[in-house]
Amino acid sequence: MNKEELLSKLKTIIAPYVQNQEALKNLTENTDFIKDLEINSANLVDVILDVEDEFDIEIDNEAMEKMLTVKASIEVIENKLAIK
Amino acid sequence: MIGNDIVDLRLSRKESNWKRKGWIEKIFTTIEQHYIFEADRPEIQIWKFWSMKEAAYKAHQRRFEHPPKYNPIDFNCILGGKVAIDQYIYKVFTKIADNYIYSIAKESTTNYTSQIFNDIPKIQPFLLQKIAEKYDIDSSVLTIKKNDNQIPIVYINQRPSNILLSITHHGQYSAFVVSN
Repeated sequence: MNKEELLSKLKTIIAPYVQNQEALKNLTENTDFIKDLEINSANLVDVILDVEDEFDIEIDNEAMEKMLTVKASIEVIENKLAIK
Repeated sequence: MIGNDIVDLRLSRKESNWKRKGWIEKIFTTIEQHYIFEADRPEIQIWKFWSMKEAAYKAHQRRFEHPPKYNPIDFNCILGGKVAIDQYIYKVFTKIADNYIYSIAKESTTNYTSQIFNDIPKIQPFLLQKIAEKYDIDSSVLTIKKNDNQIPIVYINQRPSNILLSITHHGQYSAFVVSN
């Protein structure tokens, strides 16, 4: 899976939790889930569970604590896919 | 140091399905899970613990100027209204109302004033007025800006002050807490 596919899958996952739709349209690697997309912090758990389901990976606590931006999440997903 | 967090229960019922497989395990320690499942109303216990963790996270992050991190499971709720992270302990006051749960976390020596609002467009004017009253200064010289770590800082005449502040908003409710 290339980065573009990964980004597009991630975008689909986060979309239902996003409160700032304008920021979702302009999604980049630097987009912050809480600051830019205004995702409620309790919903970040849902994003993480959805990522686990979609990519069939397990996100441990250490990886989870980084997943606050698009960039960090892609890195986590890539790393977990690599060790599958 | 100080932090606060409010949960609008009507909104959390729409936004979050805590019964989802894996949801509780990602956020709560085994000990916390025990208290949740033993509680008369697990839902209330969940959001009580959640708001305690979030409030303590804000106080802790501010104290050590940590960049944002998503590690609610590392904040351990202890009976008697305390949250422990690493070797640090925060005292937490929690109010459970019919439609919201509100927590304030602080270091033992910090005293504070807090206000909860229902359905206001912006909290900032109320907050500036309160700070102006407390410190006996004109509200026109006050500004509030977030720093790079998303922590709100109170400026007096464009200079950063040592007033500690935390703001929270969820659904219909918002609240602030300011150090004395």
